[in-house]
Amino acid sequence: MRRALDRPLPRGKTEVGLSAFAFLFSEFIQYSQTRVNTADELQHKLEEAGVGIGRRVLELACLRDKSSRRETRILGILQFIQSTVWKMLFGTTADSLEKAVDQDDEFMIVEKSPLVNAFISSAPCNCAAFTAGIVRGVLEGAQFPAQVSAREYADTRTVILIKFAPEVVEREKRIS
Amino acid sequence: MAHLRKTGDAVFSKVEKVNSELFSLTYGAIVTQLLKDYEEVDATNEQLEKMGYNIGIRLVDEFLAKAQISSCQNFSETAEVIAKVGFKMFLGVTAEVTNSNASEFSLQLTDNPLAEFVELPEQYSQLSYSNMLCGVLRGALEMVQMRVECTLTKDALWGDDVTELRVVLKELMDEEYKDDDE
Amino acid sequence: MLVYTLHIFNRSGTCMYYREWSRPVPNSDLKSNNKLMFGFLFSLKQLVAKISPRKGGGFYACSTNVFKLNYFETPSGHRFILCTDLSAGDMREPLRHIYSHIFVECLVKNPLWRPNEEITNANFVQSIEKYITSL
Repeated sequence: MRRALDRPLPRGKTEVGLSAFAFLFSEFIQYSQTRVNTADELQHKLEEAGVGIGRRVLELACLRDKSSRRETRILGILQFIQSTVWKMLFGTTADSLEKAVDQDDEFMIVEKSPLVNAFISSAPCNCAAFTAGIVRGVLEGAQFPAQVSAREYADTRTVILIKFAPEVVEREKRIS
Repeated sequence: MAHLRKTGDAVFSKVEKVNSELFSLTYGAIVTQLLKDYEEVDATNEQLEKMGYNIGIRLVDEFLAKAQISSCQNFSETAEVIAKVGFKMFLGVTAEVTNSNASEFSLQLTDNPLAEFVELPEQYSQLSYSNMLCGVLRGALEMVQMRVECTLTKDALWGDDVTELRVVLKELMDEEYKDDDE
Repeated sequence: MLVYTLHIFNRSGTCMYYREWSRPVPNSDLKSNNKLMFGFLFSLKQLVAKISPRKGGGFYACSTNVFKLNYFETPSGHRFILCTDLSAGDMREPLRHIYSHIFVECLVKNPLWRPNEEITNANFVQSIEKYITSL
């Protein structure tokens, strides 16, 4: 009997058609719409789905990275998200990682033309909430609690705003 | 059916692709959500199939448009087209057609992109995790006038060597024009 | 080449889309004319299948002395009918293009469009407009 844990971990280079993902995601939105009453609730459902994914991505990335080094610094975990997580899910690193000028606890990941929004031309809600959820899932799994939200702009840019919880900022100060 | 494999490869090379991990993790998130909403396995299996059906009735048009397959002569040819072109185009993998005759066939997958890194916990060991595929096939085939039943008969998640779908033709639908004035 | 009208029907006869570019004789009763058109094409298809001297193929065009009706049907039952003047050549490729690149891209992939519904999607309408005027 072959069990998942006995099989070698997939190398992560396999691909499926974009439209398979598009149909799946679109059907998930349709399904979720039947279970909610408002656009906000729909967005919340998408975000929750993303959180589950984010946690799993973190587990997988740690399993693959044999050095078993755990990120303890804010910049470390954010770079991990911007490069490793993004590459794993979307094939490339995120376009940029920025820090809010006057806040120690706010950061932004900017994506110029996000995959998730590409085919949902007129979506019933903010689909970037899905991506925001993924980011939050990774952060929570790595012990960096934060509020994460996403905003889509008219020029197809999506900005994911991350506001770390006070204890994370405290910890960061202690370590430095 | 080597030419079908070539067609499948050619179509897949032209479509836009995403990492299969994004796909399988998203599918996993959907299954998790359904288990939460329906709480029990049979209802979740049914909902997965329904969602697959909704996808299938649309996906068939993209398939027809991109693969440019002319109509199949018989049910076995339909099976090969699905296995070598359809699966390849959307899932990046081909399936093997086994046990086929004029009214049934099985599709076997050694790699199942829906279920990468998945283990079924004890209380969900009866879950037909990939049941959405069954719905997709049912919906797509219905749009081309074939009413079928599709079930997951083997699953790597159940300990089998392959994941297998069995497709049974129930009815070839005739075109009907109902004039509702009469 | 002059394009008069475009109809898109689904398998059960619902006219999902109708557009006129030029129609010197106004369409008196759109709904029942659409029904007539669908019924006619349905019967024509069956007739052709029965009387065809050779196996295979379906019809893709028929003409009167003032206009030509160009027909394309997908295995999934969507029917695309383009009425043009007689100078139009074989319109199978343009109709196939409308199906593959406009219908599939704008509608099938859009979660807000439900199959068998009337088509109101702005992207679709604009793309059709652009493509037809380029012909």
